[in-house]
Amino acid sequence: MPQGRTRTLLTLTLVLVAAGLLLLNVGGYLEPVKSLVLRPMGAIQGWLATRAAAVRTLLTSPADVLTLRSENERLLAEISQLQQDNIALREEAAEAAVLRALLGYARSRPESHYLAANVIGRDVSPFIRSIWIGRGSDAGLMRGMPVVTERGLVGRVAEVLATVARVQLITDPVAVVNVKLQTSRADGVLRAQVNGELWVEQIEQVAAVVPDELVLTSGLGGAYPPEVPVGQVLTVRKRDFELFQQAVIQPSVDFESLAIVLVITNFEPLILEPEVP
Amino acid sequence: MAAYLIGVPLMAFLAILQSSVLGTLRVLDGSPDLVLIAVVSWSLTGRMHESMILALVGGLFLDLLSGAPFGMTAIGLVLVAYLVSFLEGRFWEANFLIPLGVMSAAAVIYHSVVVLAAAVSGRPIDLALAFSRVFLPSALFDVLLALPAAQFAVRARDALFPPRVKVG
Repeated sequence: MPQGRTRTLLTLTLVLVAAGLLLLNVGGYLEPVKSLVLRPMGAIQGWLATRAAAVRTLLTSPADVLTLRSENERLLAEISQLQQDNIALREEAAEAAVLRALLGYARSRPESHYLAANVIGRDVSPFIRSIWIGRGSDAGLMRGMPVVTERGLVGRVAEVLATVARVQLITDPVAVVNVKLQTSRADGVLRAQVNGELWVEQIEQVAAVVPDELVLTSGLGGAYPPEVPVGQVLTVRKRDFELFQQAVIQPSVDFESLAIVLVITNFEPLILEPEVP
Repeated sequence: MAAYLIGVPLMAFLAILQSSVLGTLRVLDGSPDLVLIAVVSWSLTGRMHESMILALVGGLFLDLLSGAPFGMTAIGLVLVAYLVSFLEGRFWEANFLIPLGVMSAAAVIYHSVVVLAAAVSGRPIDLALAFSRVFLPSALFDVLLALPAAQFAVRARDALFPPRVKVG
């Protein structure tokens, strides 16, 4: 058989295999296999993410790097060991600070039960705003559980496998959060725009929304618990000829530096949309 | 067989690296597409059947770590490997700049599939923003890494599959 035909035949076969897997996944038949494969991958992902975070911490603190450099000059013999110890301690201290803050948050809301999880990766597609966390159904996680940090709402669990889970961030363009504005008491719907901005839409025209006002989850719809901070109003867009006004908000969570998150495990979310693979 | 023994774990590792390390080191919204670079580099060595199967495997690993429909990235990468295989490793030996052009074309196809996958999963896509914030920085990274990756792939091929020579 000519080489060109073999090549085309192989390509068609592989595309059909991928399409078959796509269909099997839509039917949910691949979940056990995915869990099995993601178990070791999640472990490696977690290990790599921790190391990368440690290196990033070191690189983003120039004053400490200078101190380390001067130490290196004086203690050439101990340089390697000292640096390693320093990186590890720094990362532990940073982790402890995050955990302390998360613990404080958990204590301030004793009605909720929390499970801490490390962020081990991000969605490889730049168009999907989600993170991978190092806990899954083995730890009791379920789809729809809200995810927070001490600063506020992160998102909710969108996909659960045995040892890892994918969390859809509130910055994902398909995420919708029912919110209320703290001072004006107006209700609205939070949606991320494709340019990354977070907008609260469907705010009644009569509501007196002002910049810096705090935005909290309203609990309406049952997808998220009420009173979780989401962000602060940056600007208000109000036009007389429109039915509703909109507010652009600054999220309270820094989604670029998420390291540890809390999953609220005793909240039973109301999930209306079907599971999309 | 040796190519798969090394290639499959390598694809898994590159996919993990893309998610856990490069996911936080994005320029705008773009980052290097390590699996794509590996597939294109191996395709350029002329070992087309292996590169197509590794493209499928690498794509499936990426799909595992994404909320996009499972299998879409794999299809995109197989198509990329198929198109690159037409070069059959010939031009690359003649002109060292070939990987740059091939990688640019591969990045266009790959990111078109990524955009399609995001659209299929219900994400609203602004094509102008996607082009400037995702495609351009990612393609730039990919092209920058294309030459060293292609050189590495040729050395790996020569080490794993030394050319046969006639004696006498």
